[in-house]
Amino acid sequence: MANIIETAKGAGLFSTLLTAVEVAGLTGALESPGPFTVFAPVDDAFAALPPGTVQTLVDNPPQLARILKFHVLSGAYSRSDLVDQPSWDSLEGAPIPIRCAEPFEVKNASVVAADIVCDNGIVHVINRVMLPG
Amino acid sequence: MTVTTPTTVLPPSTHPFAEVVERLEAGGSMLPDTPENLMQIIGIYKAYAVPMDFYWRDLLYIAERVFLDPLPAFKYFPSQEYLDLPNSYAGDDSKLRIWRGPATAHPELLEFMAKGETGKLPKLLHHLWHDRINMEFAEACMDAMFWHQGMGGRFYDYLESDVYKANAERAILAYFKGNPLMLGLHKLFPEMFLEQVRKMSYYANLGLFWEVMAPVFFEMSDIYDEGGFSGVPAAMDFLVNGIFAVAGRPIYHHVYIGEECIEIIPKSEGFTWLYEAALPYVEAVFYRTAPFRGTKSYNAQAGQVPSEQAEFHYGILYADVFPVGSAGIPPTLLMQDMLHFLPQYLVDLYRSHKRGEDDILVQLGITFQRSMYNVTSAVIQALRCALLFPLDDPDPEHLKANRAFFEAQMDRFLRPEARLRDVQTQDYR
Amino acid sequence: MLLTLLLLPLAAVLLLCLAPLPGPWPRRLAVFIPAVQLLQVLWLAGHPVPELRRAWLPQLGLELHLGLDGLSLPLAGLTALLTLMAVFATPIAQPRRRLFYAMVLATNVGLVGAFLACNGLLFVLAYEITLIPTTLLVAVWGGERRATAAIRYLMYGAVSGVALLAGVLALALLNTNGFSFAYADLAQAVLPPGANRWILGLLLLAFGLKMPIFPLHGWQPLTYSQASTPVAMQLAGVVSKLGAYGLLRFGVGMLGDTWAAWSPAIAVVGTASALYGALNAIAQTDMRRLVAFSALGHMGLLVLAMAAATPLSLQGAVAQILAQGMIVALLFCLVGKIEAKTGTTEIAALSGLMNPGRGLPFTLGLFLLALMAAAGVPGQAGFLAEMVVFQGSWPVFPLPTLGCLLASGLTAVYAVRLFNRVGFGRLDNKTADYVSTTWVERLPALALSFLVILAGLWPQILLGWSEDTTSALALSRPPISAMAMASLPAQSQLIATLLPKPSLPALLDLRP
Repeated sequence: MANIIETAKGAGLFSTLLTAVEVAGLTGALESPGPFTVFAPVDDAFAALPPGTVQTLVDNPPQLARILKFHVLSGAYSRSDLVDQPSWDSLEGAPIPIRCAEPFEVKNASVVAADIVCDNGIVHVINRVMLPG
Repeated sequence: MTVTTPTTVLPPSTHPFAEVVERLEAGGSMLPDTPENLMQIIGIYKAYAVPMDFYWRDLLYIAERVFLDPLPAFKYFPSQEYLDLPNSYAGDDSKLRIWRGPATAHPELLEFMAKGETGKLPKLLHHLWHDRINMEFAEACMDAMFWHQGMGGRFYDYLESDVYKANAERAILAYFKGNPLMLGLHKLFPEMFLEQVRKMSYYANLGLFWEVMAPVFFEMSDIYDEGGFSGVPAAMDFLVNGIFAVAGRPIYHHVYIGEECIEIIPKSEGFTWLYEAALPYVEAVFYRTAPFRGTKSYNAQAGQVPSEQAEFHYGILYADVFPVGSAGIPPTLLMQDMLHFLPQYLVDLYRSHKRGEDDILVQLGITFQRSMYNVTSAVIQALRCALLFPLDDPDPEHLKANRAFFEAQMDRFLRPEARLRDVQTQDYR
Repeated sequence: MLLTLLLLPLAAVLLLCLAPLPGPWPRRLAVFIPAVQLLQVLWLAGHPVPELRRAWLPQLGLELHLGLDGLSLPLAGLTALLTLMAVFATPIAQPRRRLFYAMVLATNVGLVGAFLACNGLLFVLAYEITLIPTTLLVAVWGGERRATAAIRYLMYGAVSGVALLAGVLALALLNTNGFSFAYADLAQAVLPPGANRWILGLLLLAFGLKMPIFPLHGWQPLTYSQASTPVAMQLAGVVSKLGAYGLLRFGVGMLGDTWAAWSPAIAVVGTASALYGALNAIAQTDMRRLVAFSALGHMGLLVLAMAAATPLSLQGAVAQILAQGMIVALLFCLVGKIEAKTGTTEIAALSGLMNPGRGLPFTLGLFLLALMAAAGVPGQAGFLAEMVVFQGSWPVFPLPTLGCLLASGLTAVYAVRLFNRVGFGRLDNKTADYVSTTWVERLPALALSFLVILAGLWPQILLGWSEDTTSALALSRPPISAMAMASLPAQSQLIATLLPKPSLPALLDLRP
């Protein structure tokens, strides 16, 4: 099995995410044993943000890192684990609310594909970039 | 995001502000979409942006250079370096250019600083005669942000942290190097200068916030002059896009002491424009602020001021534009500033209504209130976009969540002092 | 000259009633006549003319006997001035203009006639003449309850007229010296024992109803609040002064002994009136009624001054008549202006009118001045008049004077409270759609304010007219207590030091 980064690279849907992770300097962290739960926004999710948003974040790695860390939980949790609790604390510190009923939603993003297991964690693919608050 | 009719339709809202909620759900603003509203708000944005250009430069000047000066008699005289400081979002060298104009101080601002209302005089005389930009307004906004807590963001907690205290300590010692009196005071009262440094950090915060807003407003004025806005929702959308574009801007506080630059709040802490500057600013200045001296009794037994800070309702969204005999109330200072930079079409509008020139300050104050309702709408729509669902989302559960969010925002305007009802009609001048 | 003072307004009345004068002419005529009268009075102040005496109805003893002395000259001047100001305060688009101006000028005829008269019956005739036009003015152009107000005013006025007629007739008929209505003869009248008491009683009733004074004031608050602005200015400013003039001329001047005997009671009534007026004014919720009660209170001071009847207090009485006439007219003028612009006189409904952006700062500025003048703030006419009244009354009636001082203090209470509510505070944007006042509209208030301040700073205007006459009047009183007598010379010195010697030449004196 591949680690989270390799899985993402292989899927071909996460080029923006991977660039962002690279710029934020989190690649090493996401290749480490972890384990992590990552909510990975697809490229379309980044494209849906108003123009300039991603550009500004990419120009400022610490700020970008904060947003990215909001998509990561410490520990590997599958969907069934996640729906046990209404809210989980992200690595950034702010909580992520989980919708317990059908359909599976994380904050305001829908999970397109859940429970993609990797070496160092589990990835759930989401269709929107999440922002704290 | 444009004005859309959702494909799935919810039953009508039962909120007292149902009309406004439904307008927001259709992608509109709290302010009704009329040509006159558009003209008023764009004109006042431009009139606001010119003094704002001064405010952000001087705020950064004070935060970075004046810093802990015990007798800052000349803090309202930013150095030429700060007047020439390029705005990161304007000018040819900008990485994310929002305004097509130059990056240095606006020419109208420079002209006013030279001439004022009285004529060409030395700067000091202008300052003493108070014929200048009313920087006290900016400081009042800073005070509001400084004083209110619980508005979201990590700024306040960071300012209480040990990392910050260590940085501040370094800066204080460097600033007062070779000054036994001040260092002695610092030993005696360690919290005093630390609190001053926190205040300076808020100066920097506000300065960086307004550095963004000024080119946004200038660009909006230019687009309007070209006829590029189809209505109030289009203007609001521009603001929403602007908010997102700059959301990730770092908020920092660098102090320049002698040759050295001490980073009291480095960029690497990850503070963002959206969470640490914009949202607290809207909450503190648009909604809460503080009761202005003379307008409310500060006597606790009189019960005129709420005991909960979150209940404060003295911001522009709740303001009564009629302070009688009230020199120095901060919004009045801003109104006087804006008076100097009104575009001609607004002057003509005011001349033809109510008392004409005599009550132009009141008229433009009310226009300003309308424009700030539009900005608040932009913030609400941006938050909805960031934290909730698109307006044309097919899932009714999502739409219900959106509606709940809008209604919760409208709940804050149910109190009698709120002006939301008044700005729905054109008669409110 | 004296006849023209009367004939001009009379001719104007006839012209207005009979000729269909178009457009602006009624108003122009109504402005012209009192202006000419005012100029005449001012000229007469420096150039006294002999009295006019023509037989009219000798069988009745009625002569056209006109003369001016130090008492009637300033009052004639006040009449002309306030008639002029009342006309200026009339809206240009006054309904039924010709009738209105005719009635205003008819009142003027009656008033000037009463002040110029030197014959008792002529005085009564003129006194009665003022009743009908003023009733019509209230009845036709007044507020909602004008009918009630007019009827009440008419009834009180009729009783007053009847009492006056009875008193004057008795004074003339019972005179053992001979039948004559001339003032000089009436002053020397020798009456059967006890007659002077009930005659004075009748006269007190008549003039007390006119001024009015406390127990007889039933008509006043309603009438003043229902009358329109110019009518109220005339009524409160001059018509009520007819009563004061009558008391001075007939009470103090002709029935001096009885007056002196009754003066303690009269002083108490005056004080009661002053306190009653002030206390009621504090309780009012309507601006017009507040000013009406304020006027009542100030009349009380007048009565005190007349009761004391020392030379100084009588000078104070004349000063108070002039000052209070101008001030109350000014107050009604301004209240009327506020009502015209805001639509209400309810104190609770108004707030923040001093707002320079959207309020009525000019009007309210003058209103502040007028209220301070009414309260007796130094620098204005009210203070001067009150000070002289108190100075003059204190040696004779210390306790009533103290009471009136208290009342004067209370005037500050209602003045400040009124202005605090109406002028200061928050202007309500939802209702503040007031049209700013124009200079034409501001004219009467501005002129009166100017005069009020001028009189406060240059006392001659109030006191210089009448010093000789009032001293003469006072001296006709029976001797007062030795202590007061001893302090009298000191009072005269006080006048000399405080007030410069009157620069007006000696006026016509009717005393033989």
